[in-house]
Amino acid sequence: MVGPTATLTPLARTDGSASYQCPATGFNILSSVNAPVELPGRRDALKPEDATVEVLVKPGTAPNGVGEQYVKEIIKNMLGKLVLGRERGFPRRGVVVTLAVIGGESVARGDSYLTMLPALLHASLLALLSAAVPLSMTFSATVLAVTKSGDIISEPSVQTAKAAASLHALAFSSKGHLLLNESQGAFDFDTWERVHERALTLCRGQAGGSDEDVSMAENGDGQPLEGFIRETVEDKVHRDYAWKIDED
Amino acid sequence: MNKEAPLSIAERDFVLNALREDVRLDGRGLDQLRPLKVSFGEEYGHVKVQLGKTTLIIRISSEVTKPRDDRPFDGVFTIALELTAMGSPAWDNGRQGDLETYVTNVVDRVVRHSNALDTESLCILKGISCWSIRADVHVVDYDGNLIDAACIGVMAGLQHFRRPDAVVKDGQVVVYGIDERLPVALNITHKPLAITFHTFDEGKRVILDATRKEEQASEADVVIGMNSAGDVCYVSKFSGAPVDAMVFVTKSKVALEKVKEINGIIDKALQADLAKRTDTGMVEQSRAENDR
Amino acid sequence: MTTPLILLPGDDVPSDYLPSNSSAPLRLGPGLRLLSEQVPTSSGSSGSHVITATQAGLVSTDTKKNGVSIASFPNRRYIPTTNDLVIAQVHHSSADFFHCMITPQAPHVLLPQLAFEGATKKTRPMLRGGDLVYARVLSVGVGAGAEVELTCVNPATGKAEPGGLGPLTGGMVFDISTGMAARLIRASSSKGDDEDGVEGLVVLDELGKKLESVGGFEIAVGRNGKVWVDSSNGGDSSVKATVAIGRCLTTIDEHELNTTDQRKLVTRILREMRVE
Repeated sequence: MVGPTATLTPLARTDGSASYQCPATGFNILSSVNAPVELPGRRDALKPEDATVEVLVKPGTAPNGVGEQYVKEIIKNMLGKLVLGRERGFPRRGVVVTLAVIGGESVARGDSYLTMLPALLHASLLALLSAAVPLSMTFSATVLAVTKSGDIISEPSVQTAKAAASLHALAFSSKGHLLLNESQGAFDFDTWERVHERALTLCRGQAGGSDEDVSMAENGDGQPLEGFIRETVEDKVHRDYAWKIDED
Repeated sequence: MNKEAPLSIAERDFVLNALREDVRLDGRGLDQLRPLKVSFGEEYGHVKVQLGKTTLIIRISSEVTKPRDDRPFDGVFTIALELTAMGSPAWDNGRQGDLETYVTNVVDRVVRHSNALDTESLCILKGISCWSIRADVHVVDYDGNLIDAACIGVMAGLQHFRRPDAVVKDGQVVVYGIDERLPVALNITHKPLAITFHTFDEGKRVILDATRKEEQASEADVVIGMNSAGDVCYVSKFSGAPVDAMVFVTKSKVALEKVKEINGIIDKALQADLAKRTDTGMVEQSRAENDR
Repeated sequence: MTTPLILLPGDDVPSDYLPSNSSAPLRLGPGLRLLSEQVPTSSGSSGSHVITATQAGLVSTDTKKNGVSIASFPNRRYIPTTNDLVIAQVHHSSADFFHCMITPQAPHVLLPQLAFEGATKKTRPMLRGGDLVYARVLSVGVGAGAEVELTCVNPATGKAEPGGLGPLTGGMVFDISTGMAARLIRASSSKGDDEDGVEGLVVLDELGKKLESVGGFEIAVGRNGKVWVDSSNGGDSSVKATVAIGRCLTTIDEHELNTTDQRKLVTRILREMRVE
């Protein structure tokens, strides 16, 4: 399996942007962040001392539907916990995250949006970093499908997900917290435990337990997703600050 | 808001004074396009258009649907263009601005109303089933001249797109997967494009392919829609200062030249993509099977 | 100096990257925050402090000011900070203030009409909407929704310090990234004869040398990502010289050119624009 690829700041106009491509699920997401900006007509938000995170998920080949609305809420809630909206310049302002699905099959009505969720989350995280929005920590996310025979498949395609018994999207913060746990389908606690362990290995690279096939990270050269995010950022910083780093 | 921040007086004056000396901010000639790059993605009908710093991604998709009651022999063709905060921080998500309405309207008229895509060829079974072709235009970076860029993208996408083959068997519509039967190209009748001009200095200076700052500093815009044969399919001058009628005549010639130039660039990109696909043909096919 | 260190939000700054001067207070720059942490020890738990990154970027220490900060991506949006020099655009005026724009899609900032050198009720400048002013950020206020105030004088002396503060007339404004703006300001304020330039930039020196014969040029850089350029002394080639300077600056910003390539670019663009 081939690992994901990502680019930081591919766009010129917005304050921050990223593109994230996941070959396993086939999704290619372009993301942008504008922050801090004035949100017209929404100045008296519920939390006047904090920033408001707004998310838009724009499907690639279809009009906006309920599926986008569903993932949008999940992303918004998760990013809202990470953005430090009380830092200077941010209270009462908006952090506008726009995500466009520019590659991959569109999710048909009734199909699960969980397969797309990790790509959307990674793309928005990278765009937030590119826009230098203050964050308390970073995260990594993955989606796993459990087949009817009990096998766990990481980053399933839309077709695989359709045939699966259950789907699980999980995200872990860079400090190890479980940030997201969205499941769909029928499963028991044991299955979830196995899924959790496998997801933790894929995201953070911790060898999980004694179970042989679980501890084997299947992700490309075995690089955990957290490390991939870090490398993408480091590469870009090195390029942007080549004049400074080379000088020292 | 949905509005770009206004230019300062200094910027307006400078753009105008420079044009009086035939100088543009990026050093281009008055009738010169910015560097245009058309590239295709892995999927059919996935186009990226880069016109200077304006970048668009166009995705063409198809599905089988029921024809409209009043047009039983026709397929459906829609162009969906929505401006999001990705293209410019000045655009609000979920709120339609004037620019969106304007660009959508012009692109629709140039491409769809001129029948560039033969919708009758999309009919599968009279009154019962037909193809619906949808062009999604994603504006990801905005630096002026959306209309021309969107037309380039939609036309390139339509020419690149392949829809699955479908036949009628005993009154039943059968759609074959891309791996079962060779997908079918769309029937393109002609290749119209829009060329937008902006006028300055009481109509005395007319420039092509304006950047965002030039658009903001201009007095009026003129759009000419035309195909490579020189058939004019659209002319508009919606608002702004009056423009001399001769401008339309002289600039039509420039527009024809540019349409030919751009269609040449699209053709080249299409051929390069086709060559790439033939080279990796086997790989492509095996991947297509795996996806299903 | 230790090897360059890149942090992501949530990462702690290792203590060997902090300035070692313990007598002066440590200054935390943008992108960092202080967190207290309960560390369990053998005798219960004791509180300690860690400095944690909130933005991704390069850790940079300033030994003179005893400060440490994160240098984040240069494309980020400008957030007003006290003492920054900015190029503001007047939007409208009220009884005592000019309401100005320094970043689009952000609230207007206030510039008192008397905050100009030698301004009195009778002699204050009459600025219209769309006029440009080179100003300093005086205060950013406290708390959410606080107003940002600008000034064109040093409140202590009543003079336009540093020189050049005040209305900008004529010329042209070019948009650059906020990171590039910061570099240009540092590069132009600390004149060095270094071959490699200051902050890796030689473009202004190079342009200065080459454009001397056509009357030179004036430049004002705003931390809000704007550069004002005027070469109206240049006579016939003044417009071309201004466009050439703008093109050089924006191209270097977009393509991260090293000093050799900056020199080549200046030569190429000046030749292309036929500015002699």
